[in-house]
Amino acid sequence: MSTAVAIHEEAHVPQPTQVGKPGGFLRRTNFLTALISGVVTAGVFWIVTDKITTAVAGAGATNSMALPSGLNINITMMYIGWVIGFMAGIGAFAGPIRWFLGHDLTHADAEYMAGKDMGREKFWKFTTDHKVVGIQYLVVTLILFGFGGLLAMLIRTELGATWTEVFNPNFYNSIIGTHGIVMVIAMIIVISGPIGNFIVPIMCGARDMAFPRLNALSIWLLIAAVPPLVSNLLMGGIRDGWTVYQPLADQAPIGMIGYQICIITFAFSTGIASVNLITTIVRMRAAGMTWSRTPILVYGILGSSIMGLVWFPMYQYSQILALSDRTLLTSFFVPASGGSVWLYENLFWLLGHPEVYVIVIPATAGMLEYLPVFVRKPLFSYRLAVAGIFGVVGLSAVVWVHHMYMTGWAPQSNYPFMLSTEMISIPFSFLVLVVLGTMWRGKPWKRLPMMAVYAVVWNKVIGGITGVFLSDTPVDQYMHGSMFVVAHFHYMLMGAGLFGAMGVTAYFFPKMIGRYLDEFWGSVGFWTAFAGFQVTFMSMFVAGLQGMPRRVLQFDSLFNVSNWISTIGAYIIGIGMLIFLYAIIESWRNGILAPDNPWGGKTLENFTTTPVPHENFPVLPVVTSGPYDFGTPDPYELADDAIMQQTEGAEKVSAQS
Amino acid sequence: MSTTEERPMPAADEPESPTNRPGSMHLVKEWLQRPYVRRILWITLAITAVIIALSFVMVAFMNQSGGPASSIMDEIEKTMFVLTIACAPLMAATLAVLTYSWWGGWGSVAAADEPTSDGPGIKTNGVAVVTWITVCSLLAGFLVVWGLVELATITSSSYGSVPANQQPNSVKPVDVNVTAQQWLWSFEYPDSGNIQSSVLVLPVNVPAYFNVTSLDVVHSFWVVEEGVKIDANPGAITNTGFTPTKLGTFNVRCAELCGLHHAYMETQVKVVTQEQFNSWIREQGGNKTS
Amino acid sequence: MSDTTTNSSVARTLSATTGEPVEVTGARDKLGVWMIIVSCTTGTIALLVSYAYLWSLNVNGAWAPTPGHANWAPVWPFWVIFTVMFIATLIMWNGYRGLRNGKVGGMKSAALLSSLLLLAAFVGQIVQIATFPFGPADGGYASAALWLAIANAIWLFMAVFLATAIFNRTRAGRVTPENPSHARLVAMFLTYLCVAAFLGCVFTTVMQDSPNTNSPPFGTFSQ
Repeated sequence: MSTAVAIHEEAHVPQPTQVGKPGGFLRRTNFLTALISGVVTAGVFWIVTDKITTAVAGAGATNSMALPSGLNINITMMYIGWVIGFMAGIGAFAGPIRWFLGHDLTHADAEYMAGKDMGREKFWKFTTDHKVVGIQYLVVTLILFGFGGLLAMLIRTELGATWTEVFNPNFYNSIIGTHGIVMVIAMIIVISGPIGNFIVPIMCGARDMAFPRLNALSIWLLIAAVPPLVSNLLMGGIRDGWTVYQPLADQAPIGMIGYQICIITFAFSTGIASVNLITTIVRMRAAGMTWSRTPILVYGILGSSIMGLVWFPMYQYSQILALSDRTLLTSFFVPASGGSVWLYENLFWLLGHPEVYVIVIPATAGMLEYLPVFVRKPLFSYRLAVAGIFGVVGLSAVVWVHHMYMTGWAPQSNYPFMLSTEMISIPFSFLVLVVLGTMWRGKPWKRLPMMAVYAVVWNKVIGGITGVFLSDTPVDQYMHGSMFVVAHFHYMLMGAGLFGAMGVTAYFFPKMIGRYLDEFWGSVGFWTAFAGFQVTFMSMFVAGLQGMPRRVLQFDSLFNVSNWISTIGAYIIGIGMLIFLYAIIESWRNGILAPDNPWGGKTLENFTTTPVPHENFPVLPVVTSGPYDFGTPDPYELADDAIMQQTEGAEKVSAQS
Repeated sequence: MSTTEERPMPAADEPESPTNRPGSMHLVKEWLQRPYVRRILWITLAITAVIIALSFVMVAFMNQSGGPASSIMDEIEKTMFVLTIACAPLMAATLAVLTYSWWGGWGSVAAADEPTSDGPGIKTNGVAVVTWITVCSLLAGFLVVWGLVELATITSSSYGSVPANQQPNSVKPVDVNVTAQQWLWSFEYPDSGNIQSSVLVLPVNVPAYFNVTSLDVVHSFWVVEEGVKIDANPGAITNTGFTPTKLGTFNVRCAELCGLHHAYMETQVKVVTQEQFNSWIREQGGNKTS
Repeated sequence: MSDTTTNSSVARTLSATTGEPVEVTGARDKLGVWMIIVSCTTGTIALLVSYAYLWSLNVNGAWAPTPGHANWAPVWPFWVIFTVMFIATLIMWNGYRGLRNGKVGGMKSAALLSSLLLLAAFVGQIVQIATFPFGPADGGYASAALWLAIANAIWLFMAVFLATAIFNRTRAGRVTPENPSHARLVAMFLTYLCVAAFLGCVFTTVMQDSPNTNSPPFGTFSQ
């Protein structure tokens, strides 16, 4: 990847007439105008809706089209107003309107929108540069994790205080639901957001994402989606867990509307981000970057985007229909008037399970991406890794019913879905072999990202074996809905997903920020959190085995000891995460400056300067070799491996015969 | 980046002297002689032993509150053992390689330094890949087959067709209608004059079948020590069943979040002898005829 | 992909925004629209599955509208709206085909006509929703049919926006014989909407009386 082709100058391109200064309307919009516009629009929507519904009710409309619950519909419209107003205030609608009127962006407009020669303010604007969006995602993710982590501490405090109710049941149930969904959202974006946006286009050798404005739209939709969710705690809460099974959610206070609006908006954000990532990866890879020279992280993000794109609408529609049940009084999920709870469960889990892989696959692929760099060996069996990723992507579509083994919905379907669930462990095992094969006979460079690989594989093995128990219907008959499940999915989502994301972030931190993540404090935080994690969730496995149901706030004294231990572990996680956060903030400001190629990698992002220039590459790169061409057959190794080579040759021959 | 130069491949196509080529068993033996392979195998063995020991601990935890109290729970615990033991070697091998690399068995580069030389350029290894895929597929296949058979077994125990070797078919099963509502359970005995109870009372060694429904939201009927669980859905009736094999008092818990007092939605199962059950029915005003 | 050199760019139309040839950006846009269609398809499937599932279960005997209080929706308006959409889509495709042969005026009138037809379909859809012989609270059928109609109305609103935009853009010289890709993208999306609307029509026409006639009354054990 050395040669390059000079890019033509845009001066040759005929430009549409520039109306006003470059950027136009977007010169005047930023986060502040968005906030003001969002709040004002929300208020206006509330008042107008209130007037209309009161007028309709006052007119004595007796047909069933009359909207019965004023408050529900007012709040719904208020949240919709917030999202629309916020997006209008940030300038998101300027693009569609310009397109509608036929005023295309000039090059100068595009440069302004990408934040060229702009200072810090570009982070507060509708900036299209993928690097800015990546940083915005990183910060939003950190905030979400902070909030979700705080709720986790509250949950463990309640469960540890076995002698009393610390919180009232309504608040407790709300924080378990909010913790769940905040963490799920944060985990979905933690790699695909910061790394996917910042690193993937550079890794592909592109100047920006395929659709830069959609990129900005996805982050700002996400930011618009979060306040409705958080505000639920002030509005009666969502006391239904993150799954918000109907019709329990129908009974919930108006806080539930915040959840539903959040998910509907977030689904748009994810869909748009996925479209963008897929198109970038498929269409914008550098010349010479064939599918067999594409870095594995790019494959991981591609696979995860495909799953998100295809399955997220199921979840979105489940929430749209649930919101309609609440405000319009339809009866999709209300059994008394013809709805079905199983319909909700199916729609929910049709996304709900692929979403687990949306989380785990990018973290795993990110790990595979940097593992070769730290052992200075080629990725073991690159093709097997690709096959593993797409095997998981394919099978993820047909396993959702394993969440519904015990619902009584079509018990016969437990047989085929147990089969498909066990089968998905085969492509997943490919990825394990790739990790082990890459480690095999390599000298690990004991930096934080490398050490994270050991931690993640450990967690994945434990999450994997407990997953085997849960995928087995008879055992699941005991485990389903117990703390065992909670511990299992924390091992997968947090143990493999979040700790993986910490490693991946540590690896790409120098490229993104320009400074290394502090090795000492980063490691201290990471390993403290890891130790606390083992204590918390190992002990939670025990509680589950003893028969403790999940989402309870008081329980049989049999479970006391395991819960005390869990709570102590959880506080240790909290301390570890705070230390890690300190490492991030401190390194962001004063870390050691990183060179262009911080770790000695061979992927394209290492061939541009650090910090990455506005156009990513001075000249567009051309790829002439694979991304993991490490490994020298030095004489010592050859002598040592003489037997080995004979073995390989001979076994090949014997395999043929 | 270097890269056009290809690594000289081992001459697989043209073995230099076919007559001297060692046999494949011999090569495997030689591979096993390598110090790191042997160490990894030892670690694997040790970890396997630990995992198998842990499976006993797990089942001990499951039995802490008095189980197993039915044949279904027996099957579940047996399955736990089988799954753990079947997966143990592969898990252990994974963890062993991990441990060995982490421990620096192949050497390591300190965090403060930077690697100066590349490791061996192993791009892939057909034998390893094929072996791994085969082993994993066989393992997954075994797990599936075992699971399907067990599922068929417990399903037949739950839905009425009692296996010939367990219960005499002459025993008349007890039918119970279970109604869940926020936040309590009620049990109705339709064969005994529809008597109602808030505690589930069952005769030992008699199959009990349950029709489960809910009046409001989704609950889950979990009889912990009997190893039975089924959701109570509003607008639908679900079925399950078991044959209690142990006298005593066990727990019914709700295993699906059902609102404010979900945590307190629990009751007891009293497994009693047939005589005690009959007299309990009479006390409740039922007309048990057996 | 984007490494085109200057020497060949003289004869090619370049995107004003990025400076790349319009074929390159067009190919990108096309893939993006395909992805959006995939995503929308899942949403459509979610609605259709909801319809079919509630129809097949008839929970609590409450699928059908209560006689005397509410009624089945007449089927013909669904089909009329679909037919109008279908014609609008054909006109858009036809305009695009003409545009590629250099007929800019044809594209303009096709886009205008198409957007007017879609507007008519949108109004028709709103009228249909307002005159349904049932309210949203009248059972499973009412909910499912109502939402198929609402979804179609939202999509038609978008379709009107897109078709009018093509009209505007053709007038402003942004959609040209050299760079016709946006007209094609809109036509693609309209085609998808037609398929979705057609499936909705089939479902509402074919699935009315539930096959499950003896569903248990809510909260009881009589089966």
